[in-house]
Amino acid sequence: MNRSRWVLILALTVVVVGVVAGAGAIWWSSARAAVGPLAGEALILPKDARFVMGFDVKRFTASPFYAKFAKERGMKPEALQQLEDKTGLDPTRDIDQIVVAGAGPGRKGSPGLAVAFGRFDLYRLGRAIETQGKALGTTHEGVTLYSFADAEPRALAVGFLDESSLVFGAKDEVLAAISSRTRNETPLKTNTALMALVEKVRPGSTFWIVGDQSLLASLPTSLPAPGASADGAATMSLPALTGLTVTGDLDPQVSLAIIGEAKDALAAKNLADVVRGLVAMASLQAQQKPELQQLASAISVATEENRVLVNARFPYELLEALQPKAKPAIAAK
Amino acid sequence: MRDATRPLPFGPAARAVFDLSLDGMVFSRRSLLMALLVAAPVGFAILYRVLAATHGTPPLGPADLYALLVAVYWVRNVLPLAALFYATSLVADEVEGRTLTYLLTRPLTRASIIAGKFAAYLATTFTLALPAAVVSFFVLMTAPAAPPLGSAAADLPRDLGVMLLALVAYGAFFALLGVLLKRPVIPGLLFLYGWELLANLPGYLPRLTLTAWLRSLIRHRPAEEGIAGLFQQVLPGDQALVVLLGVSLALLLAACWIFSKREYVLDQ
Repeated sequence: MNRSRWVLILALTVVVVGVVAGAGAIWWSSARAAVGPLAGEALILPKDARFVMGFDVKRFTASPFYAKFAKERGMKPEALQQLEDKTGLDPTRDIDQIVVAGAGPGRKGSPGLAVAFGRFDLYRLGRAIETQGKALGTTHEGVTLYSFADAEPRALAVGFLDESSLVFGAKDEVLAAISSRTRNETPLKTNTALMALVEKVRPGSTFWIVGDQSLLASLPTSLPAPGASADGAATMSLPALTGLTVTGDLDPQVSLAIIGEAKDALAAKNLADVVRGLVAMASLQAQQKPELQQLASAISVATEENRVLVNARFPYELLEALQPKAKPAIAAK
Repeated sequence: MRDATRPLPFGPAARAVFDLSLDGMVFSRRSLLMALLVAAPVGFAILYRVLAATHGTPPLGPADLYALLVAVYWVRNVLPLAALFYATSLVADEVEGRTLTYLLTRPLTRASIIAGKFAAYLATTFTLALPAAVVSFFVLMTAPAAPPLGSAAADLPRDLGVMLLALVAYGAFFALLGVLLKRPVIPGLLFLYGWELLANLPGYLPRLTLTAWLRSLIRHRPAEEGIAGLFQQVLPGDQALVVLLGVSLALLLAACWIFSKREYVLDQ
């Protein structure tokens, strides 16, 4: 065999080893038993949810966004300190991820059900809730449950599933989630439309949200056209969305990827044109606000069959430039 | 015993040409230059890791850098350039070196000569490009700020496939250009950096370019500024695969046909 064959075989080996290693990484990834970025334990959330969102607290607190804006945006570190003193819970240290599923706007009294993953001192948490005297402690199918405002028709409750997961939301939904967990059921997985969207979310995002057609049906179907009067006589109609996926990261810059699924390719093109129009209008404002020029160029819009893909990347310098500047103090006359 | 009055069958003939051409292509000055260009991202990736370790996380994340390398560096620029410099010279080098006579006087069909040389070109560029992509992927995706390897790894086989398809499609086009024109490099560059820019326009024009179809097959969508960012279209993936394979086959057949019909008069 001549030397060029050896080089070819060496190259082929590198490629095969790389692909096998990649396949191994997928196989051994913690997301194996889950659906996309959704942890397997979160599948106890209700099956009639119209949206699911995830928030990676660890990535958020490690991001420059948290470092830059935490104190300015009223995160109240002293309140967190009080919470830790009372319950032993430091959200930035002890909570890894929060997943929320719900019906969204339109269904009264159902704000959504949340599952928090992390490390919880259940004894201290329970004591802290009991000493406040606002919650009634019970057990349901072996799980400790604290319900707040029990007399109300939509009482809230928190269930201590185990040392690594809590469920919080409307009491009846918390009870249902606990029962699903006991019976080893995964109701959310039966919502195939929503799961199909969740599967497409890239694991590792700092935050993500998916919504199905029933949620998006409540969105406005038109926008006031440029130059329209206040009574909204001239409007631009918006093609209806059948699915929406938003993922975002905060490190090293704020990046958003929005995928809107329209009825067909034509509707997607129309929707993309509307988004492009809005971006172009922002560009036109650049003469008054130069930072808007950067904002417009940070957004790209593309279509893929019936999908509209909007990518946005905002460096922190740009976000700082967009902050309202403090007015200089007026000198006393 | 073989009938000496008839040429060798297509398969063995193409393989013989492949064997003969591979050594000359892999160990050449052109390959050394191309290796530096194609494998440069491995250096970028290592430099990125060093900078991230010494100066903190750079503004561009490792996943974004990898996306840029695949979508912009390799698929849009360097692989088409590699195809241009290798595929246009499949026959031109033999003409320039006045060695074409030796090939044409052998009992080989001309189509088998093109097929063998094209396979050698693919093997050479595969050897240069794909291991570089694999190494760059792992160097970048194991960085602390990278997404979990398990989630990113699904992109790797797809990226390698699209890179290979880019080499096939552009290679077939430039092979045709190489047998058609005496000096194909300048028209090839004009094609790459003139015609292929149509991919950034709205409407149906992007469908007339190879880059728009190739771009549609990869999942990375680096944010682009200006017209490209506003009008970037992602064409249907299944159509892209059919179009690229169909166009490549048609271009290669056309190159074989023209090479079979053309008479070469070598300068004395």
